[in-house]
Amino acid sequence: MSEPIIRAEHVAKTFISKERKKGAKKKKAVEALKDVSLDIHDGEFFGLLGPNGAGKTTLIKCLTTLLIPDSGSMSINGFDVLKEEDKVRASIGCMLMGDRGLYWKLTGRENLNYFGALYHVPKAARTKRNDYLIDLLELTDFVDRTVETYSSGQKMILAFAKSLVSDAPILILDEPTVTMDVPTARKLRAILKELHHQGKTILYTTHLMHEAEELCQRVGIIDKGQIIALGSPGELKAAMKREDIIDIEGVFPGHVVEDVRALSGVASVAVKAEDGGRSKLSIQCANSRIMLPRIIERIVGNGATIEYVKPQEVTLEDVFMARTGRSLAVDTRVVAAPEVKAGGGGG
Amino acid sequence: MAVAVSRGIGLGRPSWKANADIILTVLVARLKIISRYKGLLVMEAFLPIVFAAFPLMLGIAIGGENAGANFMTNTGATADYKMFMLLGACTFTVVTLMMWLIGYWVRREQETGTLESLYLAPAKRFYVLAGVTTYAFLRSMLVFFIALLLGSLLFQVNPFGGNIGLAMLFVAAGFFPLWGIGFIFGAFILKIKEANSVIQMVQWIVAFLMGIYYPITFFPSYLQYVAASFPPTIMNDGIRSSMLGIGYIFGSDWWVSFALLLALSLFLPLLGYQIFMATERRLKRKEGVGQY
Repeated sequence: MSEPIIRAEHVAKTFISKERKKGAKKKKAVEALKDVSLDIHDGEFFGLLGPNGAGKTTLIKCLTTLLIPDSGSMSINGFDVLKEEDKVRASIGCMLMGDRGLYWKLTGRENLNYFGALYHVPKAARTKRNDYLIDLLELTDFVDRTVETYSSGQKMILAFAKSLVSDAPILILDEPTVTMDVPTARKLRAILKELHHQGKTILYTTHLMHEAEELCQRVGIIDKGQIIALGSPGELKAAMKREDIIDIEGVFPGHVVEDVRALSGVASVAVKAEDGGRSKLSIQCANSRIMLPRIIERIVGNGATIEYVKPQEVTLEDVFMARTGRSLAVDTRVVAAPEVKAGGGGG
Repeated sequence: MAVAVSRGIGLGRPSWKANADIILTVLVARLKIISRYKGLLVMEAFLPIVFAAFPLMLGIAIGGENAGANFMTNTGATADYKMFMLLGACTFTVVTLMMWLIGYWVRREQETGTLESLYLAPAKRFYVLAGVTTYAFLRSMLVFFIALLLGSLLFQVNPFGGNIGLAMLFVAAGFFPLWGIGFIFGAFILKIKEANSVIQMVQWIVAFLMGIYYPITFFPSYLQYVAASFPPTIMNDGIRSSMLGIGYIFGSDWWVSFALLLALSLFLPLLGYQIFMATERRLKRKEGVGQY
C-alpha cells in the first residue's frame, strides 16, 4: 500500500447554533466531527458515505481549508492543512457546492479561464487546458454561452470542469452527479475512472451506493460525526454476518423446497404462493455468487420451471443499516429538504 | 506528522506574474459582468448630478443672484458654489460607489456560492480584492468624469478652469486609502452578512464627514479633526481645492494634504487587509465564510 496523501488525525469540530423558540434564544452545541482519523492513500479512489448531517461536508471543509477544526491535525499532499493553506489549495481540485460557485453572467469558457488564473495557471497553459477540458467533457455546444442559460446538468458538468482547471493531483468531489441526468452521470463516472487510472487521488462523497461500489476502492462510512466503518466495499460487505438472498419465481413441485433446503450453504428457504400455481422462493445463503448455479441446477433437475431469478447481494446500504440501524436513503430524504437554500447565480 | 507523499501542484505556477494575472483577470471578469447589465453605467452617471442638483437648487432658491457671493462670505472658500458642490458630489460618488461595490461584492459572492470557490483556490485574497477594488475604482472614476462633464454642461460651470493635473494626483493618491477602507468594509459585511442597511447608513455618515456641500470648517473643532483624519475628506478637499484654486484643509500648501494621503496609502491597505484576514480566520473557526 502506498503512503497516505490525505491524512486526518483526531479531528474534532463543534458548532454552536442558536435555537429560537417562542422568542427565547438558546445556544446549542452540535458535535459535527468527533475524533475523526482517516488516511487516504496516494492514487486511491476513496468514497466517503453518509447521510446529510453525518459530518462528511464538515470533514471536507476542514480538509479543504474552508473551516478550522477545534482540534486535530490534517495534511494533504505533504502540506499541513492549518499552516500551509495555499499549498494545500493548490494541490486539490474541488467540486463542493454542485452548480453553485459559478459566475452566471460569464460564459463557461470565461469561468474556466477565471478559475485557472486563481490557481496560478499561466495564460498559455490555461488556454490549452481549457480547450482540452471542453473537448473531454463535450462542452463545445454551450461553453460560449453565459452560464445563466445552462440547464442544471450543464452547470454541474461545468462545475466539474472547474475542478480540473489546474490538473491538481487530488480531486475532492462532493456528490458531483446529484442533479445530472443518467447519461451525463455515466459519462462523468467514466471520466473519473480514467482520471483515477492516470494516477489522481480522488475523495468522493455520495449517498448513491451503486456509485460508491462502482468507483471506490475503499470507503469510509460516517455517521453522527464519526467514521463507523472503513474498508473496501468487498471487505465491509464480507464483514457482515448477514447472508445473501436469492429470489426465484416459477412453478415448483412440492419436494423442490426441501431439496434446496438440503443444499449445504443454504440457510433457509421461504416460500410465498403467487397466482396461477406459481411460487416465490426467498433463499438465504452464504454467498449468492457461488450458490446460485447449484441452486438452479437442483431446482431444474427436479422438473421445476424458473421464470425469474434475482440475487440480492449485501450492499453498502445494508452495511450502513447494520451499523446504524437506519436506512441511508431515508435519512437523506428526511434531512435534505431543510438544507436547500435559495440562491441565484453569481453575478 | 510525517506524510511523505507529494505529487506537485499540477499546472499552477505561483509567481508575481501569476499574482498580477489574478488582479487583471478579476478586473476583466467584473467589467464583463457589468457590461452585461445594459445601461447600468449610464444610469449611475446621473446620480452625482442629482446629488448636486438638490443643494444647488436650494442655494438658488434662497440666495438668488447673490447665492455665489453669500457662499463666499459664509464659507470663505469660493463664490463658484456650483462647481464646489458638483465636485463634492462627484467625489462622494466615487467613495460611496467603491464601498457599495466592495460590500455588495462580498455579500453577493457569499450568497451565490462563488465566495467559497474563491476560498478553495490558492490565490491570495489580497490579489482578488485588489482586482475587485481596482474594478470598483475604475467604474466609479468613469462615473465621476461622465457626471462632471454632464453636470458642468447642465449647471453651466467650467470643469477645466483649475489645476486638473494636481486634482488627478489627489485622485490617484486617494485610491489606495480607499482600497484599505474597502477591505475593512468588506470584512464587516463578511461578518454581519448584510450589505444594504450598512451601506445605506455608512454612505450618509461619509457624505456628512466629507463635506460634499460645505467646507468642513463649518464643523465644531473636535468634529473637524475627525473629518480631516478621514481619507475621503482629504481626497475630496484636494480635488476641489486644486480645481477651484482655493486653500486646502491643512493650509495653503497642497503637498501637506498630499503627503498625508500618501502616508495613509501605505498604512490603510495593510491595516484593511489584516482586518479582513482576521475576520476571515474568526469565521473559519466558527461557521465558515460561505455561511449566509
